[in-house]
Amino acid sequence: MSYYLQLLLNGVIAGSVYALFAVGLTLVYGVFRFINFAHAELISWGAYLTLMFSSPPVSWPLCLAVIPAVLLTAFIGFSQDWFIYRPLRRGSPITLLIASIGLSYMLRNVLRLIWGSDLMTFSLPLARGFEFSGYYVTGIQLLMLAAALLFLMILYLLLTKSLMGKSLRATADNLELAAIMGVSMPKVSAVVWTLASVFAAAGGILLALDTNLEPMMGVANLIKAFAAVLLGGAGNVWGALLGGLFIGIAENLGVAFFSPGYKDFVSFAVIFLLLLFRPRGIFGLLTGVR
Amino acid sequence: MDYLLHVMILALIYSVFAMSLNLELGYAGLYNFGHVAFFGIGAYVSALLSHAGVPVSAAMICALAAAGITGALLAVPALRVSGDYFGIATLVFAEMFRLVCLNERWLTKGPMGLPGIPRPAWIAPGVEGMPAYLLFAFLAAVGTFVFIRRLTGSPFGRALKVIREDEHMAQAFGKNILLFKVKAIVAGSVLAGWAGTLWAHYISYISPADFTLTETILVLLCVVLGGRGTNWGPVVGAIAVVFFGEAVRFLPIPPALTRYVAPLQGIIYGGILVVIMMKMPNGMIPEHRRKNT
Repeated sequence: MSYYLQLLLNGVIAGSVYALFAVGLTLVYGVFRFINFAHAELISWGAYLTLMFSSPPVSWPLCLAVIPAVLLTAFIGFSQDWFIYRPLRRGSPITLLIASIGLSYMLRNVLRLIWGSDLMTFSLPLARGFEFSGYYVTGIQLLMLAAALLFLMILYLLLTKSLMGKSLRATADNLELAAIMGVSMPKVSAVVWTLASVFAAAGGILLALDTNLEPMMGVANLIKAFAAVLLGGAGNVWGALLGGLFIGIAENLGVAFFSPGYKDFVSFAVIFLLLLFRPRGIFGLLTGVR
Repeated sequence: MDYLLHVMILALIYSVFAMSLNLELGYAGLYNFGHVAFFGIGAYVSALLSHAGVPVSAAMICALAAAGITGALLAVPALRVSGDYFGIATLVFAEMFRLVCLNERWLTKGPMGLPGIPRPAWIAPGVEGMPAYLLFAFLAAVGTFVFIRRLTGSPFGRALKVIREDEHMAQAFGKNILLFKVKAIVAGSVLAGWAGTLWAHYISYISPADFTLTETILVLLCVVLGGRGTNWGPVVGAIAVVFFGEAVRFLPIPPALTRYVAPLQGIIYGGILVVIMMKMPNGMIPEHRRKNT
């Protein structure tokens, strides 16, 4: 029994990070109506830039290195939109999707060009996990949980309590109508890309602290985030959050029943089945924040 | 000289692969981002059967059938969704296929892959067989080209284009949209499996690492670069992409810098994909030439 509870705990921790990715992805989908494949690269660039600022020649302490890394990732997110997606927005969603696949491949290879394809890690001192009556968590995992909670809390306040959040939701509901009513599109798009990039970078850094860095880390996690987005119904922020938790838990509990080689199969199967049978998502919070 | 033969064979196999994707993506407007799975099914089925002692030609036919059946099995449920959702469903299908190949070691030997796949009996193994294989690949590519041209020039092909442009209109004309799309996917999958068997028996070693997202992106690049929905587009695109990829080897690059070549190539491929989408979404050979008015 405690074995399963431990897996459940791991699942919640992993799921909270997936939720961070999924929320950004779904925000972009909600407003701009296309699947941004290059979201994956925001995840890995956040982690790699942190590595860059925390290792020589710069060698800042980790908590300081995070700041320029997140800012630069947000800059990448902005540039994606400004130079590529904005000019393409009049076309079909497929054009945008293909462009984002190309962009993702390009950015991933820039990573490989600079840092190589090998696994890399932050040189953290070995830390002993904490034990709570038989269950183990590491300090980093606690950090992951805390950071995810903090970010999602900020998002909640922003979306429900501020005027900006209101215009964001209005835009997600109907872009043209919102623009007619005087919602500033450049502002909304800036906020959406900032949120998506910062959340992706933060999640990427946390994951890299827990495991390691490799150029494919973004894509691997994007697929999970995508499963989460679909579970919640595309464009639905709270659905994506729940979806992320669900994927994390399902994947970790799955390890108890079949070979760990199939761990990623869980999110694939979820995406596949949902697309085929419930393309609107199962957490149908239709009245919630879209 | 042998190297040139090798590049030509690769270009021919890739043009078959690109033509098969074009049938779905260009003509039917079905954005299949998991096409590499059918290439992989063709390669694996054919390789496994010929390892089991089945003659190569029979193994190839079984591989085509397997790819076609899988295509039909995927198409019927996946066509419940359309557009970018269909793209994601197929992409995920390809990743599932790759995971199965990676994990079912008893069958596919997992990441070690399958070595020593034999050539057809009338083609000598190794370098001696290359001219004969070139001829084989050439005939295969020409056959595919002629088949696709006849198919797309027929009423079936025209109906596919109508469905791509306006489903409701096609429906109003009494066309069974689902059936047309399923047929397009089955034909595309069989041809992708065909490209896969050609490739497996040529290269003689396959592993799950050959059927990743990168291959999907490459073949997508071939199609959109050449021109979607045209007969020559994917052929031209495939030849351009393969020759560009191989030409890089002849650049005078000092050994210390060779590790930068592959990522740079990737950056260029990705960049081209983005630029095509922005500047010339119809590719090098546009489907509708602009008429002077």
